[in-house]
Amino acid sequence: MVSMSIVTVQLGQCGNQIGFEVFNTLLNDSHSPQGLCCKRENELYQVSCKERFFSEEENGVPIARAVLVDMEPKVINQTLSKAAQSGRWKYGQHSYFCQKQGSGNNWAYGYSVHGPKHEESVMNLVQKEVEKCDSLSGFFIIMSMAGGTGSGLGAFVTQSLQDQYSNSLRMNQIIWPYGTGEVIVQNYNSILTLSHLYRSSDALLVHENDAAHKICAKLMNIKQISFSDINQVLAHQLGSVFQPTYSTEGSFHYRRNPLGDLMESLVPHPEFKMLGVRNIPQMSESSLAYSTFTWTGLLKHLRQMLISNAKMEEGIDWQVQPHFSGHPTLGKMSLNKELHFNTSIANLVILRGKDVHSADLGGFKDPALYTSWLDPVNAFSVWKTQRAFCKYEKSAALVSNSQFLVKPLDMIVGKAWSMFASKAYIHQYTKFGVEEEDFLDSFTLLEQVIASYCNL
Amino acid sequence: MGRRRRGSGAAGVGALPEAIAALSRALPGGPSPETFRRAKFDRPEAVPALRRLLLGLLSSLPEDGAADPDGQARLLRSALCARGYPRGARLPESGAGGSRELLLALAWLLAREPLLERLLARARVQLGDEVTACQRDPTPLQCELQARPCPPAHGVDTEGPVDIRFLQWLMGKLQIRWRTLASSQWEHCALLGQIHAYTQGCHSDRELGHLSVPETEALRDPEGGQQLLWRLQCENKRLEAALQWRRCELLFWQWMDSVLVTCPPEEASRPPTPPRLSGLLLSPVSRELELLSRELQTLQEGLREAAGPLRVAWEARAGARGPELEAWQQMVQMAVTRELVALKQTWEHGRAPPQPHGPCRLVQSQAAVPAGLGLQAAELMGVLRSQEACLEEALSQLQAQCQQELARLSGALPGLLWILPSHGRLAPTPSGTR
Repeated sequence: MVSMSIVTVQLGQCGNQIGFEVFNTLLNDSHSPQGLCCKRENELYQVSCKERFFSEEENGVPIARAVLVDMEPKVINQTLSKAAQSGRWKYGQHSYFCQKQGSGNNWAYGYSVHGPKHEESVMNLVQKEVEKCDSLSGFFIIMSMAGGTGSGLGAFVTQSLQDQYSNSLRMNQIIWPYGTGEVIVQNYNSILTLSHLYRSSDALLVHENDAAHKICAKLMNIKQISFSDINQVLAHQLGSVFQPTYSTEGSFHYRRNPLGDLMESLVPHPEFKMLGVRNIPQMSESSLAYSTFTWTGLLKHLRQMLISNAKMEEGIDWQVQPHFSGHPTLGKMSLNKELHFNTSIANLVILRGKDVHSADLGGFKDPALYTSWLDPVNAFSVWKTQRAFCKYEKSAALVSNSQFLVKPLDMIVGKAWSMFASKAYIHQYTKFGVEEEDFLDSFTLLEQVIASYCNL
Repeated sequence: MGRRRRGSGAAGVGALPEAIAALSRALPGGPSPETFRRAKFDRPEAVPALRRLLLGLLSSLPEDGAADPDGQARLLRSALCARGYPRGARLPESGAGGSRELLLALAWLLAREPLLERLLARARVQLGDEVTACQRDPTPLQCELQARPCPPAHGVDTEGPVDIRFLQWLMGKLQIRWRTLASSQWEHCALLGQIHAYTQGCHSDRELGHLSVPETEALRDPEGGQQLLWRLQCENKRLEAALQWRRCELLFWQWMDSVLVTCPPEEASRPPTPPRLSGLLLSPVSRELELLSRELQTLQEGLREAAGPLRVAWEARAGARGPELEAWQQMVQMAVTRELVALKQTWEHGRAPPQPHGPCRLVQSQAAVPAGLGLQAAELMGVLRSQEACLEEALSQLQAQCQQELARLSGALPGLLWILPSHGRLAPTPSGTR
């Protein structure tokens, strides 16, 4: 059975760099000799991964199903040559679009100037990529949230994709800026990106720079952390979600349409589209050789990471516990708030590795973890494969639609609002056609999102 | 019994056993001819086979839906009553007896509608890749398939109130599935196109030119080819049996008259009531059914009593409310005019060539097909587009009604703040629903 393909659109510096790491991780993993499963299964896994993310060229080198877009040539050139140098895969010869002048961290410039001006060229590239797919599941759109090109143009392109490919699914991978941001208007850019994507995308998979940075420092033991290190962490997380898994329990066929399945189980509700990813274990290769894991231990940690909203397995708050189920009263809410309990709408756990069928997921099926209007049968799903991922004998990933991001979102909206109230930098946006009313619309929408997540 | 007698029967009149044998071969999993004879004498041995046959014909429920004979008997009664079977009250209430009544019910179904044709069409072996040209009035059998009861959604507690967010969640899920379905349909079409292009010139029939998917499969997998052959042979046998039955069905109907005569006369002229369900073996659903039918009866009686005086009062009031009535009348008239114009347009649009109905074989052809032969893809697309336009019109009317209702509600509950969704905001994207 053919696996449905995903076309990736990489936008801006951040999107292009991460996109490269994602494809590199996917291909390295699928060719890794340490898959720890039989040869036949490994072959099926490879085929499934390739069909989804790569198209085959004549001389056998896989070509990423991707379109690269940036307004400056530097990063695109680097990305193209890095891929070609890998020798294992490359980007299509004519699958990129770049210009000479960036967006100067101005969302309005990316959205209102670059967007309409280059829409046709970008969409033509996308169409060529789509035509190479026997069956298209949807789009990954990788972009930063706070910059100019990735975020502004990214929001515009997502809208164009919605118009032209209304039946295909759109998942935006957006990179949340550091709390101590580099760009003064990053909060403006962020609220504009989020509010526009909330209208045109089906799911926002959010990666926090801060969290990835901490993982590099604490778990991977990297001293001088580069963007490449951070991007590898993010790529690892994405790979652990979207590499092939069995279609059903006990089946050895690989899932045909993971993007569709993921969206169906996590983001059907139009007001709850924010997803976060958590992984376990994550460590440097040198420590990996000396570690052994049990499913019970991994899942216990992963569950606590979920309910206490920890970004990694280190420094988990074990005090946070769900209140007894069956009392969906106000008492539960206030108590949970007090203990920083992270309530979920829906969760997806992905398990990869040895003895995966023996893993007990009872802890994730507790109704107390979820909002009162959705029971665990609807709210929890699990994907499995015996094939190990990236040298980890056993590993688990969690994609969660929960209150993970309420606090950082509230903070960004708050900061943007106080700047907006004093009318700071607004003229830079109105100059390019993003009016005060657009800001107000964005604030309204995001306040509504925050309120909805708070009232779970 | 409102029976139709088809054909004079003079051409191929044979013996009665032949007619019954032909019928039993033409029916899916048909009972042995002996069953019919036993049923005439109301013998209990004939019950299981006849009931299985009738259930298969009537309902698309999975067989284990009502495993016990009593449950099956009740199900059958309900299904027949729902179709307006006049002798519903005489059907057996338990699983043990009543084979003659079952035989009569089968004959009623056969006489009432082109049942046999429809069954044959349903079990038809598809050799070509097909597209259905007209979906305006699906036959009742298709309706049954569409109305197949689905398992209840998890978490829907019919007793308590349902959180609106859960409904939105389910709605969203439906939309995502719809989009996935549309994508797979697209993929399916693309693959069909590829197969047709690759096998161009392979078909022995020059008019068709290329192979269909089942034909390609049969070539690729010899075992599958054997199976296909076997299925075609079975279908042929059934078709032959159906033809034979048509030739000698008159005999069958005469025999059925004799069956009807052997029935004891009805005790009293009871009005056709919905089936009563015995109290001991009731499941919660049938208990509710029982309750509902009783309520319905009470309501109907109440309605009859209440309607008379109300009508008089209304007529009196209508006289007083002249202008309002006039406006209303005008509105109705306008709506009727609109409908008429739409109908006329459809008529004029669709009149030119008689449009083919039912399934058509998909054929990719370079050469121009002479007019009147087959259906061009462009024509079919035109029909589909006009259907889409009609549906969209209906949808927007319904949406307008909903908005009016919301506006009305927002007036009725002053303590509550209603925010109507603006365009594209948080509401599910309209593109997803098309």
